[in-house]
Amino acid sequence: MDMRENERPMLILKDIHKFYGKNEVIKGVSLEVRKGELVTFVGPSGCGKTTLLRLIGGFTDVSSGDIILDGQRINDLPPNLRDTRICFQNYALFPHMTVAENVGYGLKINKWPKHRIEARVKELLEMVELQAFADRMIDRLSGGQQQRVAFARALSLEPKVLLLDEPLSNLDANLRLVMREEIRNLQERLQITTVFVTHDQFEAMAISDRLVVMKDGLIEQVGSPIEIYERPANEFIAGFVGYVNFMEGRVASIDENTRNTVINTEYGKIEITLSQGDINSADEVLMVIRPESVNISLDCGGKGQNVLSGALKSYMYAGSLAKCTVKIGDRTMIIDQYNPRDAQQFKHAEKVEVHIPRSVHLLKRKR
Amino acid sequence: MAPAELSVKLQASSGSKIRDFLNANLINILAAFLFLLLAFFLLYPIIAVLIKSLRGPSGFTLEYYRSFFSKNYYFQSLFNTLLLGVINTVVCLVIGFCLAYMTTRGPWILRKPLKIIALIPLIAPPYLFALSLIILFGRNGIVTRMFDLHWQLYGFNGVVISQTLAFIPLAYMMIENTLMSLNPNLEESAYDMGASEATILRTITIPLLAPGLLKAALLIFVMTIAEFGNAAILGGRTPFLAPDTYTMITGESDFNMGSVLSVILIAPCIIIFFIHNYLLEGKKFTTIGGKPVASEPRKITPLIQAPFIIITTVAAGAIFICFAVVFVASFYKILGVTHNVVLSNYLDFTSNQAIYNSIRVSFVAAVIGAFIGVLLAYVIVRGKFFGRTFIEMVSLSGFALPGTVVGIGYLLAFSAPPLKLTGGIMILALNCVFRFLAVGVEAGISKLHQINIEIEEASADLGASFLTTFYRIVLPIMFPAFIAGFIYTFMTAIVSLSAVVFLVSPGFALASVKIFDAAVYGEVGIASATTMKLVLIVTICMLILNFIRNKTRLGGSMKKSAAV
Repeated sequence: MDMRENERPMLILKDIHKFYGKNEVIKGVSLEVRKGELVTFVGPSGCGKTTLLRLIGGFTDVSSGDIILDGQRINDLPPNLRDTRICFQNYALFPHMTVAENVGYGLKINKWPKHRIEARVKELLEMVELQAFADRMIDRLSGGQQQRVAFARALSLEPKVLLLDEPLSNLDANLRLVMREEIRNLQERLQITTVFVTHDQFEAMAISDRLVVMKDGLIEQVGSPIEIYERPANEFIAGFVGYVNFMEGRVASIDENTRNTVINTEYGKIEITLSQGDINSADEVLMVIRPESVNISLDCGGKGQNVLSGALKSYMYAGSLAKCTVKIGDRTMIIDQYNPRDAQQFKHAEKVEVHIPRSVHLLKRKR
Repeated sequence: MAPAELSVKLQASSGSKIRDFLNANLINILAAFLFLLLAFFLLYPIIAVLIKSLRGPSGFTLEYYRSFFSKNYYFQSLFNTLLLGVINTVVCLVIGFCLAYMTTRGPWILRKPLKIIALIPLIAPPYLFALSLIILFGRNGIVTRMFDLHWQLYGFNGVVISQTLAFIPLAYMMIENTLMSLNPNLEESAYDMGASEATILRTITIPLLAPGLLKAALLIFVMTIAEFGNAAILGGRTPFLAPDTYTMITGESDFNMGSVLSVILIAPCIIIFFIHNYLLEGKKFTTIGGKPVASEPRKITPLIQAPFIIITTVAAGAIFICFAVVFVASFYKILGVTHNVVLSNYLDFTSNQAIYNSIRVSFVAAVIGAFIGVLLAYVIVRGKFFGRTFIEMVSLSGFALPGTVVGIGYLLAFSAPPLKLTGGIMILALNCVFRFLAVGVEAGISKLHQINIEIEEASADLGASFLTTFYRIVLPIMFPAFIAGFIYTFMTAIVSLSAVVFLVSPGFALASVKIFDAAVYGEVGIASATTMKLVLIVTICMLILNFIRNKTRLGGSMKKSAAV
């Protein structure tokens, strides 16, 4: 694979603003999407993610800023002249056409010869494993099958960028897992540049190369799922991509060589290995402690490094995992104990020890 | 405490079997009573017309039908009526579609004003347009005199134009409704796949709209062929079925021939009513619901835009001019002939007397209509007896029946003992009640579908009897539907002309009849002023209706959010 080809941005958003009347819904968004990449816009409802997608698709005009597709500025092109294809949340399949007619609609509109349409439709239906359903009407399909038809239709003209607007939100939980894997596999196989919109942070993390976390019309952070989860840029993101325990502290010292960092908290010293560059000595920080990163054990009285003792308030056993609520001082900490072996003992325990890992991420506290 | 209560409840219920029976069957008794009312005041008059058309001096005869089909005049009348229906339907659909398309897909700034203009004719009695055409193009019309124009207004053309203007809102509302329910993502998908606006219209919008368009077409067709006022005022020497029945009865007192004409007129109405209700039932394309998004305007090429803009501008302009003309004419003795601004038309005693009478009749009709409507809705939704759908069908059929036919039916049915009603205001009110029942019933039905039957069951479970539940739970919830039925019946009754024109007694003038007479005799000023008074009354009713609708919608959403 040619790396340079892969790194050329297929889609560039340059300082996009969008007003509806006086209401600014997109407040300056810039982003580059590489060829073949799957980028997900994720954020709470009303954050502007769908609007941004509609701007890229051309259904709404940008108020200012540029949209550049494969080197060409496409601001003024209507959707029918843009090389982007959208897949709507409700699929928007044409109910008065068969599966094959739906998939072939774009080809027919673009005046492909009949035999080529037939061949291409056949190929697409095979790709989404719906060959047997070509002559069915849309309302005779299940939700998952409709989703695949919509996907095939959007891919029919081999767009430069595929836009997916919450494509899985109308499916039930199990099917959603299956379909997201299918979409991801196809997307990787076809190397098609894709912008995916969802409000489901877990779906976003599972499917994407990169996440764009949005809030109130602005990008909060762009990064790979691992970056976003392990090194969130702020409290909102830390909390948005999963449950998080915060603990305030103050950086006492940073060893320049080993990056060993000591943090003073109201419950004692915590030592971590600092992996980020934006923290200095004497900074007020917020430790981002994920529930599953913490070890919990029964209180043996001894005091080790990074060990805090607390009172076990509740222990909810659920087979593969137990959810523990631990009170440390006047702070409540949620801890996920995977593969809980000593459940019986924990159930009756009152005092426990909590082991804070050395890999904790730090956020600078604003004052 | 709880066991004591329970035993009291048990005692009470085992005590009176009659009350239990009543409780269990009250809804059926109510249904039977309502059905009798429908049968007596809606079915019986229609059947009376049918019988009259078939019974000569010596029993059963087809003589009158033979005479209908053998005379060229009658055939011409039937042909004119059907042709009028077809032309009207097509023109109304085209204009209604253009208007609806612009208000749902067009530029944001045009949407609201166009919608208002398209709906304005709703506040007018349908014959307002006939009146304004007389003022403009009549023998003494402004345009006629100013340009010495000798265009023949009276006849087919005049009727087509005034009817079209009168039925634009109906067409618009039905088409707008289906356009709004069309998921905008469908058109956007086609747009996204490379389709131009014209292609989207041809391949997506119109095919998906077809069932809705067909429904609208059928309804408009029925309403136009049955419409009496415009054809009677502007028809001139051109025969149409509805006004012909009128002259047959009032002019020649030939009830047999009048009945034949009525049966001929009613036949297409009934056929279409059945098609509309049963063949097209559920014929609607369903799609998975997403978030409802308003359609954003698309970049439409001028070539496609032009016809839309021309048609909507012409239609909106014509509606506006007609209103303005009648308004101005109400301040002159005869606009264009006399030049003094006068208020005498508004102060005219006979006109005000007629308005007062109309208000009285309509008020009585509205009270009765709203009550019967709510009860019918309840029986239709909650009842479990055989023939429920038949009751629903009959109660909704009133609006599809031509007013002239109902008028003759009432004359035939209630002019002799045992139930002699002619001459009083009751006969005027009752025919309005049963003709305009549909809206009240439908409002009630939709309100009842919103409330869960479990609310009533909970009430019954807590020990309430059927009557208590109905009185304490159902009626309060149905109250908005009751008010809607009341106001709707009131404002339809006050402008209605076609049935009451047969039933008014000489000394008792109604506003609509007064306008009709004044328009026919060229008393343009009085006719205009009386029309404007009706417009004012209907506008007030509309505002109240709108207020209630907003209020209850708010209540509905509050309930929903509370449940979540």
